[in-house]
Amino acid sequence: MSKKSRSKLWFLVHSWLALPIWFFVLIVCVTGTLAVVSQEIVWLVNPEMRASKPSDDAALLSYDQVVAAIKQAQPQTQVQSIVRPDESHFALEVGVTYPDGRPDKIYVNPYSGIIQGSAPTFNFKGFTRALHGWWLVPFTNGYSWGWYLVSLLGLPLLASLVTGLVVYKRFWKGFFRPTLRIRHGARIFWGDFHRLSGIWSIWFIAVISITGTWFLIEALLSDNQISISSAPVIPVVSRESVPLSADGTAPPQLNLDRAIEIARQQIPGLETSFVSLPGNAYSHLEIGGRGWYPLMFQTATINPYNGEIAASRLLSDRTALEFVTESMRPLHTGDFGGIWIKLIWFFFGLVLSMMVLSGLLIWTKRTALATANAFKRNQKPSREARTSSLLQPSIHRESPEGNL
Amino acid sequence: MSSSTTATPPSRLSLFWHKWRFHINVLLLLIPLGFMPKYFSEAALFRGDAGLGEREVGEVQVGPWSLRLAEFRDEAPRLNGPVGHMKHFNAALCQSCISQVKATYLRIGKPRSLRAAGVIFFGSPYRMGALLPVPQKTRPDAELWITLEGWDGSMHQASIPLSQASPATVAWLKSQGNRP
Repeated sequence: MSKKSRSKLWFLVHSWLALPIWFFVLIVCVTGTLAVVSQEIVWLVNPEMRASKPSDDAALLSYDQVVAAIKQAQPQTQVQSIVRPDESHFALEVGVTYPDGRPDKIYVNPYSGIIQGSAPTFNFKGFTRALHGWWLVPFTNGYSWGWYLVSLLGLPLLASLVTGLVVYKRFWKGFFRPTLRIRHGARIFWGDFHRLSGIWSIWFIAVISITGTWFLIEALLSDNQISISSAPVIPVVSRESVPLSADGTAPPQLNLDRAIEIARQQIPGLETSFVSLPGNAYSHLEIGGRGWYPLMFQTATINPYNGEIAASRLLSDRTALEFVTESMRPLHTGDFGGIWIKLIWFFFGLVLSMMVLSGLLIWTKRTALATANAFKRNQKPSREARTSSLLQPSIHRESPEGNL
Repeated sequence: MSSSTTATPPSRLSLFWHKWRFHINVLLLLIPLGFMPKYFSEAALFRGDAGLGEREVGEVQVGPWSLRLAEFRDEAPRLNGPVGHMKHFNAALCQSCISQVKATYLRIGKPRSLRAAGVIFFGSPYRMGALLPVPQKTRPDAELWITLEGWDGSMHQASIPLSQASPATVAWLKSQGNRP
């Protein structure tokens, strides 16, 4: 095969990768872009989610102080978990249950302990993630088929990146001489746009497609009961270590701040951005937070009666493979370094969405028109029928790819 | 269309196909649209809008204590990979027994001892949940046993027919042909 026809083949492959499913790809890109900043959007819309400082020198409350504040405001409400979001402008998210059996997530001010409100009934963050992640197809037994549908897109995306770089000769020159011709018609503009945004998004498309493909592999592994986890199964608190009480009521449990102190003494550098209270008399208290490597969490599982660390899951416990696989999700979502990383992911998410759209526009402006014309001419058995065949290699017409 | 002079005129259908073939994937949007009502009803179920679950079994007296039992979903047990079929029950302890009850267990058939009391409930005493394994060979007339363990070391048990706890499960067991 000649070099020229091989390039043409690559070009055709590149054109066809997303074309038949362009709208699906576009919506997945757009919802993914929204999902990156979904928490921030809820924050903008919902003042109850904001952590406003009552005064400049206000200090953050400890976990016990937060629990005490909730107990004082709502003595009957039971606290299950407390999450301190990464960014300081977010209020604490506390999982609670009311006496009527309703679970809820409430926003608590981290400085004053005031319950600012409940999470809205419509969970925008959850909805955009469900739409983007599994097309809303419910999970019944194992992964939903919607998850497979979406994560399969990682493969054509990766192939688009590779073929795009192959057909775009000497693409690195585009970094030094960026071209975006505005006055040469829509076809030229969208072509320039597609190439320019493409080269600047190489890293992002690689990250999204590789991590997206990982989601496919993850589902395949899980649905075939293959585990690569090195995390041990933690046994419940033994019957013997739960103290008996003489008066027939629950024995005192360690308070949260004390448990955190004990854990931190034994695990230097353990951050505690979330606390999950024991689920029953025989279950543990779990605390955790990000380690020095911001893409992964470290946790400690603590006996709530004597403070003994039943288990811990630290960065050093992970295998090399787990370092890679557990990094996949934060790399995909951009949720590992605060608002600026999220905004970068959001921006490139928009660019990627525009690339799907511009790819389609290029195709309609070129191939589709040419095909449609050729088709029309076919209906008249005149001399045009013979010339119509000249339109077939339409990728050559007035396009930079014609120089292939 | 004045195509009488053409030898092989493209049919209306093929014209339509050629014009719209790459837009047909817009129809994939019907999938999330179709699942949207389901998504929101699930969200409401988890939010507790319908109470403890889709079907309230009722108050069950267990010794000096009592609890409210509910089927989280009014349906047959769900297959949960290699673990087998699981049925999700929710329960709430009576207000006065919350401070006295240490643990709540659920089991099909009478437990021989406290150590074999079955699956333990997790969560707040206002709304706790347990996933009960239901083997396919369970007899449809089996009993569901509830064991409550007190902080004082006492143990109380009660049972209700499975048909009362979950008619959907019994119907499913019957449809399994009750294979031995």
